[in-house]
Amino acid sequence: MENTKVYIRLNDLSVGYRTRKGLKEIKHSLNLSAIPGELVALVGSNGIGKSTLLRSLCGFQDILKGEVCFNGKPLNLYKSRDLAKILSFVSTDVVRVQNMRVRDLLALGRFPYTNFIGTLTRDDLVIIEKAVDLVGLHGFEEQMIDELSDGERQRAMIARSLVQNTPVIILDEPTAFLDIRNKYEIVHLLHNLARNEEKTIVFSTHDLNIATSEVDKIWLMLEDEVLEGAPEDLILHGYYNKVFASENIIFDEFSGDFRLKKTFRGSFSVEGPELPKRWTIHALARAGFIYTDNARNAAINVTVSDTLKWEIVTGTKEPAGFTSAYDLVQYLLKKQMRE
Amino acid sequence: MSSSAKLKNASLFLLLFLAAVLFFVLDIFTGSLLIPVKQVFSILFGFSDASEEIKTIVLDFRLPKALTAVAAGVALSVSGLQMQTIFRNPLAGPYVLGISAGASLGVAVLVLGFSSVLSLSFFTISGSWAIVLMAWLGSGLVMFLILAVSIRVKDIMTILILGILFASAASSFVSIMQYFSSETMLKSFIIWTMGSLGSVTHSQLKVLIPSVLAGLLIAFFSAKSLDVMLLGEQYAKSMGLRIKTVRMMVFISTSILAGSITAFCGPIGFIGIAVPHIARLLFKTASHHILIPASVLLGAIILLISDIVAQLPGMESTLPINSVTALVGIPVIIWIILKNRKFTSV
Repeated sequence: MENTKVYIRLNDLSVGYRTRKGLKEIKHSLNLSAIPGELVALVGSNGIGKSTLLRSLCGFQDILKGEVCFNGKPLNLYKSRDLAKILSFVSTDVVRVQNMRVRDLLALGRFPYTNFIGTLTRDDLVIIEKAVDLVGLHGFEEQMIDELSDGERQRAMIARSLVQNTPVIILDEPTAFLDIRNKYEIVHLLHNLARNEEKTIVFSTHDLNIATSEVDKIWLMLEDEVLEGAPEDLILHGYYNKVFASENIIFDEFSGDFRLKKTFRGSFSVEGPELPKRWTIHALARAGFIYTDNARNAAINVTVSDTLKWEIVTGTKEPAGFTSAYDLVQYLLKKQMRE
Repeated sequence: MSSSAKLKNASLFLLLFLAAVLFFVLDIFTGSLLIPVKQVFSILFGFSDASEEIKTIVLDFRLPKALTAVAAGVALSVSGLQMQTIFRNPLAGPYVLGISAGASLGVAVLVLGFSSVLSLSFFTISGSWAIVLMAWLGSGLVMFLILAVSIRVKDIMTILILGILFASAASSFVSIMQYFSSETMLKSFIIWTMGSLGSVTHSQLKVLIPSVLAGLLIAFFSAKSLDVMLLGEQYAKSMGLRIKTVRMMVFISTSILAGSITAFCGPIGFIGIAVPHIARLLFKTASHHILIPASVLLGAIILLISDIVAQLPGMESTLPINSVTALVGIPVIIWIILKNRKFTSV
C-alpha cells in the first residue's frame, strides 16, 4: 500500500442542518486538527452532535460555515471519486447483508480503483490479503458476514476501509455494539493502524475511559465548546468534569474514573505501601469517603500492610483490624449508620 | 473468489442454460395439438415438409409465446433484483410495489383516452410502441413516487404498504376511466387486459424484445454500483459512488423492464420477488455480476415452466399465467418471510 499522508484541519467550522426555517447550527467555531499517525477520539455525551460533525467531515452533509481541509485543500473542492481515495468511512449501523462473504465485502473497498466491471487485479488481491492480516481475520475470508460475531464484523468493516487504502479513516461509534474486551481490542487495533500505517484516524465514542488509555488526542465536545488536546491535558485543565456535567457524573482526576456524585461521608488518610494504598483509597472513595494527604486533617486514619492487613488507627473508639478491603468498607459504613 | 467457487458457479450456469433451452423446447412442444418433437425442430430450423397449418401453429403461436415467456421471466426477475437492492428490501418487486399497476394505468390512459387514434393501429408496430411508451410512463411514475418516499422513509414495511396503496390508487383510476369510457374504447381495453403470454404477436415482439434487452443492458452496467449499494447509502457515498446516477439507472431499467412486460402480457405477479431469492440461494452470493445473469436464466426457466403448467398438458383450455406464477412465487415469499422474521436487508 502506498503511504500518502494527510492531515485534517477544521477552520472555524459550523455544522448542522439547513431547514425550511433557515440554518440549524449544532456546533460552531470548531477549530480542530489531526495529523498522520495519530488516533483521535471525538468524545461527547449522547446527542451532542458527534455524528453530525463526522458526517460533515466525510462530506455526507453540507458544511454551514468555515471549512474542512485535507492537506490544506477544502473538502468541497474534491471530486467524489478523489475523496474516496483520501477518506474512508465506517458507519455505526450494523451491515446485515446476506450471502456476502468477508472476501466480497473487502473487495467492495476497491470500488474507487477498479474498472466498471469491478475486476480485481493481482494488486487488489494483495491489498485485500494485507487488510485481512492487519485486522487479524485470517481464516474468516470465506465466512458470510451475517455469521460473524459483533467484534469480527467490526474488524471486517475496518478491513474494508483499509482495502479502500485511504490515508484518513473516519469511524462513527465503532465500539457501540461491542462487549468490553472487543471495545478495547478495536480501539487498540485503530491505535496500531494509525501508528504503523501512518493513517489519520478519527473515531467517535462516549467512552472516555477507553479513549483516555489509547488515543493520542481527544476532540472533546462540550455543550458550548469543543476542545482538543491529549487526554492528560484535558484532565489537568479539569475539562473531563464538564463532559457529563448535566448528568451527575464526576471525574476523579486521581483514579482516572468516572463516578456518580455521592453523599459526603467524611475524610480519610491511608498509610502503607503504594499499591495496596492506591486501591484502599479507591475502595473508600467508592464508598463516598474523601481522601486527603494530610493525616492530621482526616477523620479516619487507615494503615495497610504488604500482607494486606488493614487497621483503623484513629477515628474509632478502639483500633480495628481487617483482612479485606470489603470488611473495612462494610465496617465503616455500618459504623456511620449507627451514628 | 476461490477457483473451486468459480468452477462451481460456471457449472451451475451451464446447467441453468441447458435447463432454459430444454424448457424452451418443451414449451414449444406443449399445446392442445400434439406435434412430434422432430417436426418441431425441423420447422424451427426451416427445413420442414409439415403442413402450413402446423407451421403456423409453431412459428406464429408457440414460438412467439415461448419467446414472450423468456422475455417476461427475464425482465420481471431482473427488475425485482434491482429493486430489492436499491430499496434494501427483500420483499420488493415490480408487482408488490405497484410498478405493474402503474403500467396498467399508463396503458389505460392511452386506450381509454385516445383510442380513436389507436383503434386503427392497435396491433401494428407503431401502436405497440405507443402502448409500451405509456406503460413505461405509468410504471416510471409509480417507481418515481416510491423512490422519492424511500429517500425519507427507511422502514421496509412502510414502503411495501405504500406500494400496495399506489397499486390500489392506480387501479381505481383505471376503474373510473372504464366507467366513463365509450363501448368501443372499453372493448379494446378489455382485450388488452386479457393479455397473456400467448397474445403477443410477432410485431409486438419486435418492440418487446429490444425493450427488454435495453433494460437488461442498463442493469448490467449498474452491477458494480448495485454491489456497493448493498452496504447502504453512506458506505456507497464514501466510496465515491454517485448515488443519484445509480438511482436513475435503476429507475429507467426497472420502468422499462416491468412496464414493457405489463404492456403486452398484463400484470404477472411474484416472479420479480421470488426469482432473485432463488438465485441467491443457488449461488450463495450477493454479487450482481452473478445474480443478474442467474436471475436472467432462472426467470426464463421459471416462466417457461409456469407456461407449460398453464397449458395443462393434454387438455384443451389454458390457465391464466398470473395464477400459476402466484402459486410458484408465493411459497418462496413465505419462505423468505419465515427465514428473516426481522426484516433487515437483502
